[in-house]
Amino acid sequence: MLKCGMSGSQVKVFGKAIQALSRISDELWLDPSEKGLALRSVNSCRSAYGYVLFSPVFFQHYQWSTSVKVNENDSTTSNLNCKLGMKSILPIFRCLSSLERNVEKCKIFTRSDQCKVVIQFFCRHGIRRTHNVCFQESQPLQVIFEKNMCSNTLIIQPRVLAEAVVLFTSSQEEVTLAVTPLSVCLKSSSDEPMDLTNSVYSEMFVGPDEFDFFQIGVDTEITFCFKELKGMLTFSEATHAPIAIHFDFPGKPMALSIDDMLLEANFILATLADEPSRASSPQSQCLSQKQKRSDLMCSTNNNSKTGKNVTSKAPGCILRKAAPKRLYPNETQTDIPTLENCGSPIMKRVNGDISAVPESSVSNTEEVPGSSHLRKFSCMFFGAVSSDQQEHFDHPFDSLAIASDSEEDMNNGSSSTF
Amino acid sequence: MKFRAKIVDAACLNHFTRVSAMIAKLAKTCTLRISPQKLNFILSDKVANGGVSMWCELEQENFFSEFQMEGVSAENNAIYLELTSENLSRALKTAQNARALKIKLTNKHFPCLTVSIELLSVSSSSRIVTHDIPVKVIPRRLWKDLQEPTVPDSDVSIYLPVLKTMKSIVEKMKNISNYLIIEANLNGELNLKIETELVCVTTHFKDLGNPPLASEDASQDRDPEQMAEVHIDIRKLLQFLAGQQVNPTKAVCNIVTNKIVHFDLLHEDVSLQYFIPAFS
Repeated sequence: MLKCGMSGSQVKVFGKAIQALSRISDELWLDPSEKGLALRSVNSCRSAYGYVLFSPVFFQHYQWSTSVKVNENDSTTSNLNCKLGMKSILPIFRCLSSLERNVEKCKIFTRSDQCKVVIQFFCRHGIRRTHNVCFQESQPLQVIFEKNMCSNTLIIQPRVLAEAVVLFTSSQEEVTLAVTPLSVCLKSSSDEPMDLTNSVYSEMFVGPDEFDFFQIGVDTEITFCFKELKGMLTFSEATHAPIAIHFDFPGKPMALSIDDMLLEANFILATLADEPSRASSPQSQCLSQKQKRSDLMCSTNNNSKTGKNVTSKAPGCILRKAAPKRLYPNETQTDIPTLENCGSPIMKRVNGDISAVPESSVSNTEEVPGSSHLRKFSCMFFGAVSSDQQEHFDHPFDSLAIASDSEEDMNNGSSSTF
Repeated sequence: MKFRAKIVDAACLNHFTRVSAMIAKLAKTCTLRISPQKLNFILSDKVANGGVSMWCELEQENFFSEFQMEGVSAENNAIYLELTSENLSRALKTAQNARALKIKLTNKHFPCLTVSIELLSVSSSSRIVTHDIPVKVIPRRLWKDLQEPTVPDSDVSIYLPVLKTMKSIVEKMKNISNYLIIEANLNGELNLKIETELVCVTTHFKDLGNPPLASEDASQDRDPEQMAEVHIDIRKLLQFLAGQQVNPTKAVCNIVTNKIVHFDLLHEDVSLQYFIPAFS
């Protein structure tokens, strides 16, 4: 059961977080815990994950109590498991500047008996606005990403990043961040040869001294989705906190994060995996983004069905090497029937039925292109999937995809869970 | 073919950015003509443009501290490039606090106008921003269509009222009719008229003043009260007015009855001519 309250200016930050997460996905998990209230979202092709944790001190008051279910063997503490549609919650936090002016207090609480989140605004002139938002019960997804283990870390003021971002048009899908110990360059990236003759190519070089923290361990160029970067940027401008960018080599996910006393935000984005045979010229033949993403999903799922190694389909894909740090739905076990749906969150209806929701991108195209110039996004999440609550009763918070792999990793690695 | 130019003065850069923004509003695609003394933004009167044509001219030495160009050949010392106006405008807008801006014609797998900006930043190091704007080089055989239009002998020449006022009026009129009648006389009166089955709306502007006429004969023949009128597509007029963000230094409207309306503007040192034909 969640009960928390915040002031008008805190509502603005909270609303900005929701707006930033709406750039990633149409769904939002509300995940309260003792650590604070977490908002999570994952995009449909699993190439971007957003997580914002508001610590209890962010709120004017914060109360979280778990409902303890006692059964025969042990007691289970359960998450709220609340998934909201962005369409329901985003309009509530529209016009943030007017909310900041008019709202004196905002209360958010859940009712354990009904699947509802209640958001109440106590505004000026005695006006009280109440929103009842129904949620679906769904276990939130989590991602394991060790950002402190990345070779490259940059910390930059949001203003500098904003000045770089204006270079690109809103239709720009991807941007490339190229770093060397001497300079950082943000440039437009295009994989369609057609695009190049029509669109403007832009780049900006920023010197190391513009960063609050500059550590480049390995020269690299990573390409990621621009929309998600903009989402994180608008949020960081609201919090006035610097953004940390953690990344490694192409193919390995990158993290954009904000770490503040009051909140912690992490956007984990997939980066384009580099093919070793691919020339660095932007005009090499490549497939369109969406097809690549769905292809990757398919190939991983195809592999899972046949038990083949991922690298047989994606030679340049770095995923396998970094596997111990990331859980992958298709690694070893092919006998678990839910494996092919591992990437999807399992939604539990209130009446206890369990139905697996297959990812639309998975079912889409079955073809895996044979072109050697294929660039694929590496997908690094998957979810907190449990076909049976009992399996995970001793890991109430760290619900991870593959039972055996995950438990070993959890015990061994120092990886952090968001 | 070579072209390189540099702007270091902030005021020149802002002015050039404004000109480019205006062109972007007037024409989606236009021709940039580079010659030793001038730069021109040209829209030729093709059917595709609806018969509208534009000729914008600026003296390069009013803007650029350095300017070097080499045309196609010695006799044809000009470069004609076709580009998407908005691309140039957007690139220039990112040069807000630039220390220097360089434009040059490059060939990066295909011809580009490369805009390279050195930005001032809070810290000691400066930021370098580069934009490669794809362009198409227009071959010499097509140059004849892109020459300076001849100014027609107009029946009436009149100074325009404040363009912002004109624009808000035309905007409202657009909701009622697609066609507008613009008429003026030598007595400083200009009318904007729309006529539909149900309603006629006319806005009258008075005391606008008329520029001195070129030939004395014409002024004696014509009755100062007599209106010269042209029926034009209201959207074309609106597009022209929308491009004028700043009120020009000088604005003249020349009307050739039932043929064409010619707007002759001067924004500080940049001249803009815009022709809207009568709709047939």
